[in-house]
Amino acid sequence: MFSRVSAVLPFRPLSQLPLCSAGPEASAAIVVPLASSHGTVRTKSNSQRYFGTNSVICSKKDDKSVPACEISKETENQQSIKENKKKDLVNIIKGMKVELSTVNVQTTKPPNRGQLKSLEAAIGRLQKSPEDAPRKSKSLNPELVAAAAAVADSLPFDKQTTKSELLRQLRQHEEDSKAQKDGEKPKISFSNIISDMKVARSSTARASTQPVHQIQFDEGADDFVDQEKMADLRKSFRKNIYKGKRLNIFELKAVTEEAPETEAAPSLWDVEFAKQLAAVTEQPFQNAFEEMIQWTKEGKLWEFPVNNEAGFDDDGSEFHEHIFLDKYLEGFPKQGPIRHFMELVTCGLSKNPYLSVKQKVEHIEWFRNYFNEKQDILKESGIHFS
Amino acid sequence: MASVASARWLRVSCGLCVPLTARRAGACGRTPSSRFYSGSAAVPKVEGADVAGTEEIVIPKKKTWDKVAVLQALASTVHRDTTAVPYAFQDDPYLIPTSSVESHSFLLAKKSGENAAKFIINSYPKYFLKDIAEPHIPCLMPEYFEPQIEEISEAALQERIKLKKVKASVDIFDQLLQAGTTVSLETTNSLLDLLCYYGNQEPSTNYNFQQQEQSEELEEGEEGDNVKSKKKAGHQLGVTWRAKNHAERIFALMPEKNAHSYCTMIRGMVKHRAHTQALSLYTELLNNRLRADVHTFNSLIEATALVANAKFEEKWKNILDLLKQMVAQNVKPNLQTFNTILKCLRRFYAFGKLPALQTFREMKAIGIEPSLATYHHIIQLFYQHESPSKGSSLIIYDIMDEITGKKFSPKDPDDDMFFQSAMRVCSSLRDLELAYQVHGLLNTGDNRKFIGPDHRRNFYYSKFFSLLCLMEQIDVTLKWYKDLIPSVFFPHSQTLIDLLQALDVANRLEMIPQIWKDSKEYGHTFRSDLKEEILMLMARDQHPPELQAAFADCAADIKSTYESQDARQTASEWPANSLNYIAILFLRAGRTQEAWKMLGLFRKHNKIPRNELLNEFMDSAKASSSPAQAIEVIKLANSFSLPICEGLTQRLIADFTLSQEQKEALGDLTALTSDSDSESDSDTSEDK
Repeated sequence: MFSRVSAVLPFRPLSQLPLCSAGPEASAAIVVPLASSHGTVRTKSNSQRYFGTNSVICSKKDDKSVPACEISKETENQQSIKENKKKDLVNIIKGMKVELSTVNVQTTKPPNRGQLKSLEAAIGRLQKSPEDAPRKSKSLNPELVAAAAAVADSLPFDKQTTKSELLRQLRQHEEDSKAQKDGEKPKISFSNIISDMKVARSSTARASTQPVHQIQFDEGADDFVDQEKMADLRKSFRKNIYKGKRLNIFELKAVTEEAPETEAAPSLWDVEFAKQLAAVTEQPFQNAFEEMIQWTKEGKLWEFPVNNEAGFDDDGSEFHEHIFLDKYLEGFPKQGPIRHFMELVTCGLSKNPYLSVKQKVEHIEWFRNYFNEKQDILKESGIHFS
Repeated sequence: MASVASARWLRVSCGLCVPLTARRAGACGRTPSSRFYSGSAAVPKVEGADVAGTEEIVIPKKKTWDKVAVLQALASTVHRDTTAVPYAFQDDPYLIPTSSVESHSFLLAKKSGENAAKFIINSYPKYFLKDIAEPHIPCLMPEYFEPQIEEISEAALQERIKLKKVKASVDIFDQLLQAGTTVSLETTNSLLDLLCYYGNQEPSTNYNFQQQEQSEELEEGEEGDNVKSKKKAGHQLGVTWRAKNHAERIFALMPEKNAHSYCTMIRGMVKHRAHTQALSLYTELLNNRLRADVHTFNSLIEATALVANAKFEEKWKNILDLLKQMVAQNVKPNLQTFNTILKCLRRFYAFGKLPALQTFREMKAIGIEPSLATYHHIIQLFYQHESPSKGSSLIIYDIMDEITGKKFSPKDPDDDMFFQSAMRVCSSLRDLELAYQVHGLLNTGDNRKFIGPDHRRNFYYSKFFSLLCLMEQIDVTLKWYKDLIPSVFFPHSQTLIDLLQALDVANRLEMIPQIWKDSKEYGHTFRSDLKEEILMLMARDQHPPELQAAFADCAADIKSTYESQDARQTASEWPANSLNYIAILFLRAGRTQEAWKMLGLFRKHNKIPRNELLNEFMDSAKASSSPAQAIEVIKLANSFSLPICEGLTQRLIADFTLSQEQKEALGDLTALTSDSDSESDSDTSEDK
């Protein structure tokens, strides 16, 4: 992706050659177009206006892409700003790609026509540049500046491969450009492409991982899609179904990340869907145990393992809480008839399977209160109750 | 609690345990030296004791088992009994079904019996008040379907919604509105849910067994995987969305609507096939700056695909648009989203293939695990035509490679269609390996539960077994035959014919009487195509005498079925072929008496015997040197004016010594023929 972007620069001179011979010299890049612009802009003012009244998106494109290129040239000298924000870079790349194709495709055409076109294109750019030049530092998005610098940085590497890649891309665009030669049509399609790109640009996360796909997708003109479809179809018969193009609509991150569950009570739809799902795997029982499982689930059967606690739900209390009730006798006398009586009571309670632990404790408490109330009688008969 | 407490106690008292553990550790060792150590365990120097002292005894926590864990463990030990019918049919031996038709009616009868009981209990709850069960079993008690709240209030409305009383809830809602009470948004929404789900009709209560049976019958009617007819059946049963129904009226009356109101309306419209309305309501939802949920999008995708009068390309574009809107509205797609797309793409035929693959890859790429229904839709899309010649795709191999060995859980209502369609493809591709792979997947884990209802199971196994008959060695096929029938399914007559052909190919005709016995058992006694196939195979060649005897027995049995068929219905006829075969078989087995009786049947049913048969009869007459029988044969041939008559007469004269009476009889016979036949014929015979 880097290569394709950085290829902008090697080709730029071509597009500017008709305008001025000094174009390629990077050091003069800014000054020269400025100087030449005054003459050409006036002569071609019609076409220029035409560009100006173009669709909003188109002009937007110019806003973004053209300054970026200008800046990248400038930064060739300076190379002072360094920034490696990949995300931004890809954005710029996408912006530049289209711009590049509009300009460069025209250069491959017959000279007279191409010249005219390239003039137009250049003028469109140049018209902006005088305005931009004085307030370059202010008007430009600092992010753009940074990203452009990164592009420029990457330029010195593998110029050759980038060139060939770019050429390939140009050939792909040749058909499009043929159709776009005359008049209104190209602008519409460009704006379409650009609007497509706007969608793509928002999904930055994927763009950084699969930029090649993305760019190809953007390029897809109508006639091209058909061919691709057929080829893909043929391939799909032989190739693995798991490898190949996908819809590229959803993002992995968006799907996998857990959204906070704001679900309220399940609606009727949910309930019925769950029932449907349950019915999918409903099969006649394979053996009697499966039937018993079903009965257990319906509550018709004792739950296994069957022990003496089956079906007895006493708030999860264990057997020892039912049996060892001595600890509740602390307030009672240590010996004597009351003690003896109470021990008998606890003994009886510990064998009672029908009462819950709470009820048993209440039962003991009742006796405590009872004896407390009868304190005076007890005292009379010489029994001490603490 | 007890365990925790005791664990704590043990940890505290660990120090006390030291000598004990050390001794135990020592005792474990086998060498004498370790025994010595155990003796000196009290000495603190001993290393083993130190180690044990630092060790902590971890008492496992008390395990609480699921209430069905024991039963599940037990159930896993029981395997299919290949000699018996499935467990579901094991009842009174008299009632055990022996054919697929019987098994179907058995299951229906069982289910409808349950439903009838439930119907009675729920209709007359006042007679079922006594609660015998201890502890109480709620599911055996009557359910109360009558609303308890009488007054007009929102609570009453909620109760009626809960009881799924469509009309009553609408009435209450109207009365509330007339009284000037505002119903809360939540309640109105749940009312809309109810109306939209059931399409403004009272839901068919689940004890309405007659209707269920009817729908089952309809399903049974569509043999195999005819999607269209099923759809049609669904349409007949389903309810259509009518404009200006209660749901729309209430929706219009609502002072404030939230996203849920719109969503449930859209879903209801799509469910009841008002696709265009649903799409326009979605636009309205967007205009109100609300967001649809994922289920609504799924419905909308379905609606887009089902809208009439649109091209496939256009529909697909619209579906993609919807997906993009999902991204824009930050709605996460789920499995149903993709399954719906794939299901809809099936309607696009060949055009749907590429989009389907892209959709499938998309769901893979974003980490949504496909369910069996996903694969089912893809298989259906790629193998729409039965013929394997049409450059059929190899996609099923990829799919099977991917999912072999996986265990599935139900995620989509269409999950139970997969095995059937996969086996159909195996059968049309004639790929046995693949079929084994599919079958292996079916037997992985609990996957066998996805085989679907009765008729799908039969379809699957019929296809599988037919493929086995076609491709597999006969011994293996017979092994499968024993394994699958009758414990898994009851064979169709076509399945048995396939098996017979496999036996023929493998030259194992001696199995035929056994197969006949089985087919009688599985309810094919009166399938004449099956019987003819059996007779043909038996009568085609000469066999050793024992086998011929067995075949003759079998033929006699088949003959008796024809006779009983005669008794049952007069219209049915003996096919000429069967008569021929049976007669030949009798002759070859030396059961001449019965064979001669067969000749009588020819005359009775006015069927023409074959020449070979008549020749064999002559042979047999010669063998028993009974010219009378030979004359009988000629008489029969004569009565049908067969051309072979001539040759037979000559054989008779050449081979037999005829008495005077017989000669006269023959003369009469030929004279008789002379009336009908040419004069020259009779002349020649008379001269002799």
